Amino acid sequence: MKTVALEITSTGWITTFQDLGRRDTERRGVPTGGAADQHSAAVANLLVGNPRGATLIENLGGELALVPDADVLLAVTGDASRVTVGGGPVESWSPLVVPAGHEVRIHGDLSRGTRTYLAVNGALTADTLLGSAAPDARMGFGQTVVRGSRVLLDTEFRGFRRRLFEAPLFRLPVPVPRFDAGPWVIDVVPSHGIDTIAGIREVIEEATYVVTTRSNHVGLRLDGPVLHPDTDTEIVSHGVPVGALQIPHADELIVLGRYRSLTAGYPIVGVASRASLSLLGQAGPGRELRFRWTDSESSLRRFARREAEVCALEHAATEAFGALGFTAPSKTLARDQMRMYSHLKSSSHFSHEEER
Amino acid sequence: MTTAQYGAITVEPFGDSAVMVTIPHADQAIRRSGIVAFRERFLAHRPHGVLDVVSGLESLLIEFDPLRTALQHVEYAARLLAKWAPAPSDGPDGARAVRKFAIPVVFDDETGPDLASVADDMGLAPAEVVEAIAESSFTISLLGAAMAPMMDGLKVPRPVRRLAEPRTDVAPGAIMIAGTNAIIQPFPGPTGWRVVGRTPRTIVDISRPDPVSFGTGDIVRFVPVTRDEAAVLGAGFLLPLGESV
Repeated sequence: MKTVALEITSTGWITTFQDLGRRDTERRGVPTGGAADQHSAAVANLLVGNPRGATLIENLGGELALVPDADVLLAVTGDASRVTVGGGPVESWSPLVVPAGHEVRIHGDLSRGTRTYLAVNGALTADTLLGSAAPDARMGFGQTVVRGSRVLLDTEFRGFRRRLFEAPLFRLPVPVPRFDAGPWVIDVVPSHGIDTIAGIREVIEEATYVVTTRSNHVGLRLDGPVLHPDTDTEIVSHGVPVGALQIPHADELIVLGRYRSLTAGYPIVGVASRASLSLLGQAGPGRELRFRWTDSESSLRRFARREAEVCALEHAATEAFGALGFTAPSKTLARDQMRMYSHLKSSSHFSHEEER
Repeated sequence: MTTAQYGAITVEPFGDSAVMVTIPHADQAIRRSGIVAFRERFLAHRPHGVLDVVSGLESLLIEFDPLRTALQHVEYAARLLAKWAPAPSDGPDGARAVRKFAIPVVFDDETGPDLASVADDMGLAPAEVVEAIAESSFTISLLGAAMAPMMDGLKVPRPVRRLAEPRTDVAPGAIMIAGTNAIIQPFPGPTGWRVVGRTPRTIVDISRPDPVSFGTGDIVRFVPVTRDEAAVLGAGFLLPLGESV
């Protein structure tokens, strides 16, 4: 194990430490938060031999650049980025060896997505709140990566003897999402609010919505046609899943993100499919969205297929990195999962005990 | 207690990996206390695959991993628990001990800009409203946004109405009331609640491994103090009675 410093030479509009979010904190009023595009974040980590939930860097807009003071293994995912090492173009969605002293520059393509993810083999040194490095603006936990600062990394990576511009290191089965130029289609499972507004199903199905600049990490605010309930039934404060489609009093549609809080008074007409959430996390101002109603079963089938692709990458990466002799991600992964789910183990005795 | 006093629950799917539990009862007080009891029970016997829950005033959102369990299993478990599981405090492990808090609060025009209007609504003098708050014993029913302690138990002649125009920037430590509830604002932010006072104490400290010292079920009383007394007490982290830093 050695400690490497990454000198941050440029940051984007918003550059923060990030991970997949907090676990089991929503019951205490802290939203899960974490990477808006969970798929890209998880894949970035797997590509460098880290567990999916390791701390990484999320960048929105502008240009992120850094110089490591020793060779590092890193990967860039997210929106179609232009990535260069020492000025030469390299691939995103692929493991990269960056030699000491060479600058990595990452430029997001804002006409497609909004966020890029940079993972580096090892553990980045970052503060945590309730077990996660993800920022939480509401609690004053900014996690901003500052230009000119040195981010420390503990890594076992000792480098491969190879040159930068040789063929890609590995042929890994990488599930790269498509960020199309045209409208993105989001699957939505209807929820009971849909029955309180006659005709809303058809309106949402037929319209194209546009993400506005009023959007943030709490939710995407969309321009487009909506209808409101006739009756003024009181809806008291309640929790909502990530991806909930809410119709506020104004003529707009809101898709709630990973930092949503309790909501009151507004009908929720549906919830975006788990398989669509990562794509929503890449939608920025100007992005056109279309919604397609689906049922839970079809929605989860899509999600399971996506998960199978990520698992395939996980296995391939474990083998590839294992063969190269540095800590196989499976070991750290297993440890991480045990930690993640240990609270469940201790309380998962439900079915047997209650039936006795 | 072998059966729940609130009887049946309603379990509705909410998206592809969550369900919403509510208690169909005509009495709001039973819906609210019932859902708190159900949440504690559910968390004490958390079924496999359940990731987290989100407490609403009269509902519980249960979030699960759809690859490790299914909606039907979660719904079945929830119904079974509502009917049969003993309350956590009856179990062999017992619930964690209830902690008691005496929170110093400055109640004046500056810290409590809504004190006068609340008093007007009640037909009381502002000092009588402060007295009513100080005599109320609050129970923390849930942790709201940013771990804000949401409490029930305000004893006033009638429920407190919310503001028609929400305030945009309320200072941390603000004591706010609405209905028969009270809540403490942990970080600067907006609110539609009536602001009646402010504590000098730090309610949520993100530099601590556990940023709060309270949990659901804990008992809170507000103790009126003067500005000078508050200044002496300082902004230390809020701790329960009988504990010091």
